[in-house]
Amino acid sequence: MFPYYLRLALASFRRNPGLTALMVFAIALGISVCMITLTSYRAAAHNPAGEHGKVLFAASIDSWDPENAYEDYDKTLAPTLLTYRDAKALYESNIPDRKLMMYKGGGILSRADKGMDPEYVTTRMTTTEFFPMFDVPFLFGGPWDAKADLGPDPVMILSKETNQKAFGGENSVGRTLRWHEREFRVIGVLDDWTPAPKYFDVSNGSFNDNEGAYVPVAWGPILELGSHGNTNCWKTEVIDNFQAFLNSECIWLADWFEIRSADKQRAFREFLDNYVLEQKKHGRFPRPLNNYLYDVDGWLKRNKVLSDDNKAMLLLAFAFLAVCLVNTVGLLLAKFLNAAPAAGVRRALGASRSDIFWQHLTESGLVALAGGILGGLLGWSGVWALRAWYARFLDAPLKFMPFDGMNFVIVVAIAVLAGIAAGLYPAWRIGRAAPASYLKVQ
Amino acid sequence: MGIRPIFSALLRNSAGAILVALQIAITLAIVVNAVYLTKQRVTLVGRPSGIDDQNIFSLPLEGFEKDFDFVAMVRADMALLRQMPGVIDAAPISQVPLSGSGSSSGYYSLPDKKGKDSPANIFRTDEHGANTLGVKLSAGKDLDASTVEWKEKEEQGQPPVAVVSQGFAEALFPGEKNLVGKDFYDDQSKPIRIVGVIDHMHGSWVGWDKVDRVMLVPRVSEFTRYIVRTKPGELDRVMKDTEIALRKRDPNRYVGKLRKMSDDKQRSYAGDMRVAFTLTVVTSLVLIFSSLGIFGLATFNVNNRTRQIGTRRAVGARKLDIVQYFLAENWIVTTAGVLVGCGLALAAGYWLSTQYQLPRLDLYYLVGGVLGLWAVGQLAAWQPALRAAKVSPAMATRNT
Repeated sequence: MFPYYLRLALASFRRNPGLTALMVFAIALGISVCMITLTSYRAAAHNPAGEHGKVLFAASIDSWDPENAYEDYDKTLAPTLLTYRDAKALYESNIPDRKLMMYKGGGILSRADKGMDPEYVTTRMTTTEFFPMFDVPFLFGGPWDAKADLGPDPVMILSKETNQKAFGGENSVGRTLRWHEREFRVIGVLDDWTPAPKYFDVSNGSFNDNEGAYVPVAWGPILELGSHGNTNCWKTEVIDNFQAFLNSECIWLADWFEIRSADKQRAFREFLDNYVLEQKKHGRFPRPLNNYLYDVDGWLKRNKVLSDDNKAMLLLAFAFLAVCLVNTVGLLLAKFLNAAPAAGVRRALGASRSDIFWQHLTESGLVALAGGILGGLLGWSGVWALRAWYARFLDAPLKFMPFDGMNFVIVVAIAVLAGIAAGLYPAWRIGRAAPASYLKVQ
Repeated sequence: MGIRPIFSALLRNSAGAILVALQIAITLAIVVNAVYLTKQRVTLVGRPSGIDDQNIFSLPLEGFEKDFDFVAMVRADMALLRQMPGVIDAAPISQVPLSGSGSSSGYYSLPDKKGKDSPANIFRTDEHGANTLGVKLSAGKDLDASTVEWKEKEEQGQPPVAVVSQGFAEALFPGEKNLVGKDFYDDQSKPIRIVGVIDHMHGSWVGWDKVDRVMLVPRVSEFTRYIVRTKPGELDRVMKDTEIALRKRDPNRYVGKLRKMSDDKQRSYAGDMRVAFTLTVVTSLVLIFSSLGIFGLATFNVNNRTRQIGTRRAVGARKLDIVQYFLAENWIVTTAGVLVGCGLALAAGYWLSTQYQLPRLDLYYLVGGVLGLWAVGQLAAWQPALRAAKVSPAMATRNT
């Protein structure tokens, strides 16, 4: 029967092209607005670490000001960065399976042979397990060995982009670059790696670009290189040299831990509490015991990567879709009732109520499918236009407005389901009408 | 004519009416809240920064070799920039206002952390800073060239004099008329004297509720940036010339990316602009679709009741009566929708106020929305009602 219903539906569209177009367009616009908001929502709600993220933990301990909580909106939350002393002490723990300590630095890269234009790059100052913990892909070479985490070993890993600028993209392992007035040996080059959101460090924007180079964190104190990201201090302290800064209550680093078993996770939480209680004896950590170990999901939530704006926009988009659908239900009802005499004739000639119902449901399903596909295409152009607009002043529009084929599938599916739902009542209503009343007036 | 026959007609054919009412209810909830939120964002984005932000660009600078003479570089660059055609003024500055990065500290009106306290967004610059930013001094004078401290390395604490914004001065000395010459104190009780007051200026973070608390202090040290103000319309040309001129003057240092302050500003407000833009588009679409829906259903009603209308005309109803009938019917349906919509709008408004920590939805917006939707409903039903009035009384005798 289905092909016959399709033919009937097409005939019906030809009878009222204007009304049909209006319905298709209503669904299309509702769907396109949903698709645009869904794109930025899903990008922000994305967890790039996947399954691995469930065993990766960021530590957050409350070393903040006794007078003022770190966050106004929830006074029990702890800072999202660590002091140098604490970052180092937590990193020393042997409980985790893997661990890292890091901050964002920077400096000017150049080549002694003047083979490149000097260029300022941000650098991730970190320890070697950063690379396996965040599943970082290498194009050439690999991470430095654990010894380099301890002492000053002048090694450096470049991003693919930096390697392109410095060495034209060739295998540069073994070459040297000048950085902070010293020669650093390139031991690895990363492949394309753009986790979005940049979950391992959202402190300078969730969709910020990755660093251009990676250097052992042990170089920080030697080069007296402070953070090129965020540094926050609350305490009145005399900081007249770099050592004083390292000993201060200023927060600027982060520690991540990979802890696979539940037992070890519990043990590590205890370790955090004990560490803070021990420090309290030395007059530090004046606030209540607010210690947190966030997995990647929790960390993204703690940092509000998915903003309230995103949620409100999505809600609004779906409310708009609801208006469009109610509109469509009304129009379908009008259209079907208008064509009721034809249905009456079919009933009189032997079609059952369910035949009439399915026939009309096919028609509304087709309208919805057309609306969904048109809406998906409109939405795609909308995403494209917004990206072009953002690209004028943002670095990473591609990351938070990705072309996501899945979104297209989702919205078309929503459209068809919603369209069929919209057709249910009108189709039922027309199927229920008594044929006699329509035959009478013919 | 009474309203009762309209009611009974509506009740007999209620599905269409309920759909229209539902649509109007959701529309009201969306439109009222969207307009309210848009208004907030537009006000935020549109407020003046106090800075000539459309005619300024900035760039970071760094020397990268040992024993680089930083002070000499800045002095020579400034001499070069200030005489370039199209440039009004140029200055070194520690951070760029409206850019999202900056530094701030807390200050007190009395020593020993006593009296009033307030944070201030600090910009270290020289005697050309205020003029380059294009801010207006409402009292006192600009930083004096003789007070500017030129340092190779950044150090703690601030110089003993400052030009402060009215917003910051008022937070420390509320109600005080003569702000110039007053001292305020840092957390080590070191006094800083106010030499001039900027009438209004925004600092680095546009999302901060204390964005207008700013101070300019006379110091130039490493990690500086340059800002340049150009004559209107000359920004792009001067930017090109500057990049070439700076590289040519001394190729042995790093000249960073030149950025328009207007781009920084747009980037800082990007989230707000996106929200305002999306809300405006969706609001317009919702209104268009609601009126189309009302129009479509009214048309359908008229078509469906040709015979009934013809009969009424045949038994003496005037054209005006028919128009009135359909407009009244529409008004009843709209009113039902609007009543439900008020509840929905308030609920959505309450939810949004908990999400955004915004004041609760202003009831004026709700009243405006109700009046607006009544008007939209009547307008959308107008044309179908006129068509209904044109139905000939002879239709009563026809069969279709």
